[in-house]
Amino acid sequence: MRISRRTRIAGVALIAVAGLTLTACGSDSGSKADDNVITVYGTNPQNPLIPTATNEVGGGDPLNNIFAGLVAYNTDGSIVNEVADSIEPNEDSTVWTVTLKDGWTFSDGSAITANSFVDAWNYGADISNGHLGAYFFNPIKGTDEAGNTKEGEKISGLVVKDDKTFEISLKAPESDFPLRLGYSSYFPLPEVAYGSDGKITEEFGNAPIGNGPYQLTKSGWEKNKQISLEPNAKYSGVHEPKNDGLVFKFYAGGGTDAAYTDVQAGNLDVLDQVPPSAVTTFESDSNIQAYNEPGSMFASVTIPARLDHFAGEEGNLRRKAISMSINREQIAEKIYNNTRTAAVDFTSPVLEGWTEEIPGNEVVEHNPTEAKKLWAEADKISKWTGTFALGYNSDGAGHKEWTEAASNQIAENLGIKAEAKAYATFDEMRGQVTDRTIKTAFRTGWQADYPSMLNYLGALYGTGAGSNDGDYSNKKFDELIAKAASTTGDDRFKLITEAQSILMEDLPALPLFYYNSTAAVATDVKGFDFNWQAKPEYYQLTKK
Amino acid sequence: MWWYVAKRLLQTIPVFLGATLILFTMLKLRPGDPILNLVGDKPISDALRAQLTEQYALDDPIFVQWLHWVGNALTLDFGETFAGQPVIELISQTFPVTVVLAMMALAIDAVLGIVIGTYAGLKRNGIFDSSMLVMSLILLSVPIFVVGFVMQLVFGVKLGWTSPTVGGDWTVSSLILPAIVLAIANFAYTIRLTRTSVAENLTADHVRTARAKGLSEGKVVRRHVLRNSLVPVVTYIGINLGSLMAGAVITESIFNIPGVGNAAYTAIMKGETPTVVTIVTFMVMVYVLMSLLVDLIYAVLDPRIRYA
Repeated sequence: MRISRRTRIAGVALIAVAGLTLTACGSDSGSKADDNVITVYGTNPQNPLIPTATNEVGGGDPLNNIFAGLVAYNTDGSIVNEVADSIEPNEDSTVWTVTLKDGWTFSDGSAITANSFVDAWNYGADISNGHLGAYFFNPIKGTDEAGNTKEGEKISGLVVKDDKTFEISLKAPESDFPLRLGYSSYFPLPEVAYGSDGKITEEFGNAPIGNGPYQLTKSGWEKNKQISLEPNAKYSGVHEPKNDGLVFKFYAGGGTDAAYTDVQAGNLDVLDQVPPSAVTTFESDSNIQAYNEPGSMFASVTIPARLDHFAGEEGNLRRKAISMSINREQIAEKIYNNTRTAAVDFTSPVLEGWTEEIPGNEVVEHNPTEAKKLWAEADKISKWTGTFALGYNSDGAGHKEWTEAASNQIAENLGIKAEAKAYATFDEMRGQVTDRTIKTAFRTGWQADYPSMLNYLGALYGTGAGSNDGDYSNKKFDELIAKAASTTGDDRFKLITEAQSILMEDLPALPLFYYNSTAAVATDVKGFDFNWQAKPEYYQLTKK
Repeated sequence: MWWYVAKRLLQTIPVFLGATLILFTMLKLRPGDPILNLVGDKPISDALRAQLTEQYALDDPIFVQWLHWVGNALTLDFGETFAGQPVIELISQTFPVTVVLAMMALAIDAVLGIVIGTYAGLKRNGIFDSSMLVMSLILLSVPIFVVGFVMQLVFGVKLGWTSPTVGGDWTVSSLILPAIVLAIANFAYTIRLTRTSVAENLTADHVRTARAKGLSEGKVVRRHVLRNSLVPVVTYIGINLGSLMAGAVITESIFNIPGVGNAAYTAIMKGETPTVVTIVTFMVMVYVLMSLLVDLIYAVLDPRIRYA
């Protein structure tokens, strides 16, 4: 009796374990897909695949391939009309008239009209939908600071003239407004996206129908696993796919280490950011093709004027001294193996109109003697006390290294105490930056939303701008930026250079690096090229 | 015995409530602003912020949030992630692979650990025993991520015997390497525990009696030595499941396994309290049920232990 009971318990345990193992066997995958399908690094999208609801790369990369906008970006960041036939400004660039090309359809065959755009934008801006990409509509008349409209309201600056024409009115002149229009928030949506209640349906968010170079395959978005795309036969734009499809293979937790190993072993074709652990070795790794070139991301240190000793004339001297005591080239080379480039301005060298000839930019050169002199001058105004701390978030890879190196250089060259101060998470540090309680200098970075120098300067240093973390304000600078925004042609670049030279004098932030774009690509992949956003030109990749 | 099982199952209720309350409180102490993560550090209007804060109940006192969560959990509604995926769906997608991984590690740990440990115990102070002691010491002292990266590089990249990562298309065979990595630290401990326990029992009175009765050496070892020696080993292996699940967070990120460890890590980084609490609660429950199973196995090993 006793024996049988015992056997039974053991049996139950055994069956439980066996059961778990057997269910697991069911998820084996099928055979390998076509040879010319490219697998690329991705992460599981955090939001439904709706253009205005997505604000992170996990969803953004697939969306940029599923949809096409009024304009498309060329590899160098210049634009070419895609769905738009023409985008014409009025005299002062405040009203833009958009005309659409004939014959464009979504992948399900439905026609693209002016309403496909206007309805999608109105939906994205409506605050009750809570879409995070609304911020992009903020230049358009009728939206608030964050680009939102009130519940149920439409954007008053958008007027549909006829099926193929609509008008966009802006709050202020913006000569390079069309540069924005290739961004995902401005993509059109087909009518089937909306359910009977007027809301975008869950099915659409899981399997969107777009007008871009690719469409979802039958298996489409497999949560936490991958997104598979195939060429869209109805697409007739400028990014005609040369491969037979893309598979965004997800790496959980965003870990690029595992992805890098996969490229080495031939399990993944393209990884568009080399992990910090491989930065010093990837260019000599014979298992992969390595890419390393300057990109559009800009890194700086912001020292708010409200910190002790950093206001007025004294603060200005100290900022310059700190800037000159940092040896940017050395950090870029020793720590990042030249996957970063020392910055000489406040934008990025990949942009149209960029120049390193900015009056006053000698403050970003390493000059310890001058730095010491300036610091001593500031000490005459008010004696320095305490420690100079440089805040960084330790959850993002690669920040600790340079903040520590820079702190050491500051300490050594100025003869003061300096240290890197870690914040556990990005949102912890940014939370303190946003509510202005942070008591140290801190790292700042900017990845432009569209390829324009004004998107760096206006957004970061304009009086009252949303990302002006140091509360910088300079009337002359604001005027120059506004003037540049309403000027067309090469004249605006002169104004931008002038504006930048004001920043070099005031140093609301210390320019540090341009991040290089790095990629590890499988040896049999051809046609790899970075676009201005440091993303691969996916449509060009082939494997044959 | 069924009464005993029922009693133990009832005990899980206070464990469940206590564990979740502690988790909620701890996560509340996490600094930062989850909304900032959500909007990607872009400017956000106050109205939208208020709407999101309300949607995820971020402003309520922690106790109210907890009550709210427990109330919903009773109806098996564990809420949604910030991305709008039901948490229960996230768990059903990520839990199986972690459980299979942990079970495989547990099996490797138990089988190899007990076999090697028993042999070392029987031949104690011999060459095999000494070399096993040295080896287990090495295994115990090397961190799991070092073992993971080295094995991945050697077997996945250089030798190409197996895929270096697992990915969404996971299969049992692709989990073998990660399971070995996960098992390694525990396995060394199991060897040592079994060895000591066996060595101790070899000199016990009842073993001497069994030998005196003229039983074969094999029978003596199986029936009289092993059975008694395994009680502490089973306890250790059973309780191990908890540490295996924790270790899985590291293993999963090295081998890109879409498991619960990765899901928990991502949720913690984003400050998604309900998601983290739900995932960890599932882990706690597995742990509780496993220790119940261990207690029941005692009765199989040692008939003197009975439950009423």
